[in-house]
Amino acid sequence: MQRAAGRTPERRPARAGRVRTHRAASPWLFLLPGLGVVAAFVLYPFLSTVHKAFTDARTLTPGTWVGLRNFREMLDDEQFWVALRNSVLYVVAVVPLTVLLPLLLALLVHKKLPGVTFFRSAFYTPVVASVVVVSLIWGWMLDDRGLVNGILRFLGAGPVAFLGDQWLLLLSAMALTVWRGLGYYMIIYLAALANVPRELHEAAAVDGAGPLRRFASVTVPALRSTMVLVGALSSVAAFKVFSEVYLLAGPTGGPAGQDTTLVMLVQRTGTGLNGRVGYASALSLAVFVLTLLLMLLVLRADRKEADG
Amino acid sequence: MPPSRSAAVVTAPLLASVLLLSACGSGGDGGGGGGADGKPEGSITFQTWNLRSNFKGYFDGLVRDFEKANPGVKVRWLDQPAENYAEKLSADAGAGTLPDVVNVSPDLSYPLAKAGLLMNLDKEKAAARFKDEYTPEAWQGNTLPGLDGSYAFPWYLNTGPLFYNKSLFRQAGLDPEKPPKSYDELFTAARAMAGKPGGRTATLAGTPSIEDFGRYGVKLMNEDATRFTYNEPEGVELLTRYKELYDRGALDAQALTNTPEKSGQKFLEQKVAMNPGSAHDLGTFKKNAPALYRNLGITDAPNNNGKPNMYVMGLAVNARGKHKAAAVAFAHFVTDRRNQEAFAHQVAVFPSTKGSLDDPYWTKDDGTDEGRVRVASAKMLKGAVNYTPVVMSDEMKVVLKNEVAKALQGKKSPKEALDDAAAQSDKLLKRS
Repeated sequence: MQRAAGRTPERRPARAGRVRTHRAASPWLFLLPGLGVVAAFVLYPFLSTVHKAFTDARTLTPGTWVGLRNFREMLDDEQFWVALRNSVLYVVAVVPLTVLLPLLLALLVHKKLPGVTFFRSAFYTPVVASVVVVSLIWGWMLDDRGLVNGILRFLGAGPVAFLGDQWLLLLSAMALTVWRGLGYYMIIYLAALANVPRELHEAAAVDGAGPLRRFASVTVPALRSTMVLVGALSSVAAFKVFSEVYLLAGPTGGPAGQDTTLVMLVQRTGTGLNGRVGYASALSLAVFVLTLLLMLLVLRADRKEADG
Repeated sequence: MPPSRSAAVVTAPLLASVLLLSACGSGGDGGGGGGADGKPEGSITFQTWNLRSNFKGYFDGLVRDFEKANPGVKVRWLDQPAENYAEKLSADAGAGTLPDVVNVSPDLSYPLAKAGLLMNLDKEKAAARFKDEYTPEAWQGNTLPGLDGSYAFPWYLNTGPLFYNKSLFRQAGLDPEKPPKSYDELFTAARAMAGKPGGRTATLAGTPSIEDFGRYGVKLMNEDATRFTYNEPEGVELLTRYKELYDRGALDAQALTNTPEKSGQKFLEQKVAMNPGSAHDLGTFKKNAPALYRNLGITDAPNNNGKPNMYVMGLAVNARGKHKAAAVAFAHFVTDRRNQEAFAHQVAVFPSTKGSLDDPYWTKDDGTDEGRVRVASAKMLKGAVNYTPVVMSDEMKVVLKNEVAKALQGKKSPKEALDDAAAQSDKLLKRS
């Protein structure tokens, strides 16, 4: 107190300035480690990808500036359009199922019944299992002499080329993606279901609403934001699908490359000793922009519905 | 207006991080250290390609012997799995951490050499003096188009035999002791197999690869390796005949997407009658498929021009390594006659050193299956050719496979498919 009282008025602004500087700097100093990680693993790769998209860089050579050539090449690339078609189809087919099926599953297991924990764990198992292992198992099951075709043969139906036909292969990969996502999204819905006020259900029951009506009028509105979240998460995941298709369809992307998805195309083009890093970066940028548009679309649809 | 102090406080850490990372990412452009002519000394790294699991003892002994003979050198042995080896090399090359001595095949050494990362052995006196120790074909096998020199010490060679299932041959009414030797005989056998009573059996699990085109007698590239020529009439003929097989069910139902690993698995499960492999597979058959092993037939891959396919392995030296003299000495030590022969006695591969294959070990059949494969394969090596063009990247191989698939599915004629594949590959080649 004495020291503060003895301070001259001239020295006060200097100290106040230092305090202001420290106040501004301190939070950033605390953030520095985190910012470093973001810069290293998010910002730098992103900026580097943007830059390389305008060059003819290869894996071992930095390349030179080629302007929009990679993007023009992309528009002329038959494989790009095939990959875009497959990725869009994936979103269209997978997202509605991943929004609805886990919800139904969550409704089945959210009540505290004897043995329900077993089912919750069982449904969650595919989520924790390695995608490689799961895809291999599905590959064996869907093989022309695998379990599924064995059953079909037993029933008198001919073998179905699940892994030999372009469309069946894509459908098989979609089914695998939905199956793997069931448990994950079910957990999200279970958390949300726990927060639906019981009083609303009770009031609706008193008013004579049956289970279906209560589901439509109470549960669904209460879970709307969760459903949007699941829709957004699953649409981004479906648009960027790689592992399931790659493992079932093989590195060429199915027969004649007809099951290639956008991320598979990026991987095939940009990796290896001869990788066309510049072109792969342009493809990555296209995937980024399309994903962003998809997210905006989902959020806009949600807002419209909320406003309506 | 000058930036405010708080803005500087915000942006400085970010800029510092980005600059630091930019510096990290620019590895690989620094010059190498000592020359190759001096005394071998220093610490070097040596990378093999999926050899640790089976040959740890051999390589530990090799490193020990070399370090004993060269007290100033320390060798650190690294091994990488077979899958994604090229990706691992490209990551190392990009980061400037390519091992001092590295196991490569010519198609892998081509992009590395082109980027100036491998030592041109013909131009480096310390390495060129060993040239006469190897067969001229093996040394030639590591020269790269347009790069004027050899870029790897020749190491082991291999020619894959073709395995066939005698039981399936018998069931199809074919003589199991007379496997097909030419493509004509192969197609005849495959037709018989597909039309056998009681259900179709596929003869092959995969579609024709670039090596098949080579063995069929198709010219794969022009003289200076600047243009693909597999779309010539003989190539179209091969694909047309494969389409006929595919339509008859003589190829596995998933032939269009099968990888070599999947094809091997199908042969193991006796779902297809023939599959290429190596003598290394014999142990796998013995252990995992004894029923197949009892009915196993071994023959040469069908060939129309008398020149079988040869797989070539080499040891390249990092041109930017710090201890080049030690790296050259070690690469030569591993690939010298004594050590190549010792390695080839451990596994069914073949030494590339002059005179090695005249040894009775590779000329006299000892009555065992392994001996039979060894002698037959060693005989095939004389006049064998590495059909995989070194300039053919993985992307170009996918292009060919996909266009072949379109022809087999009937979406394009064989001629159209091969013309398109060659045109796409030429375009990729021009930009490489």
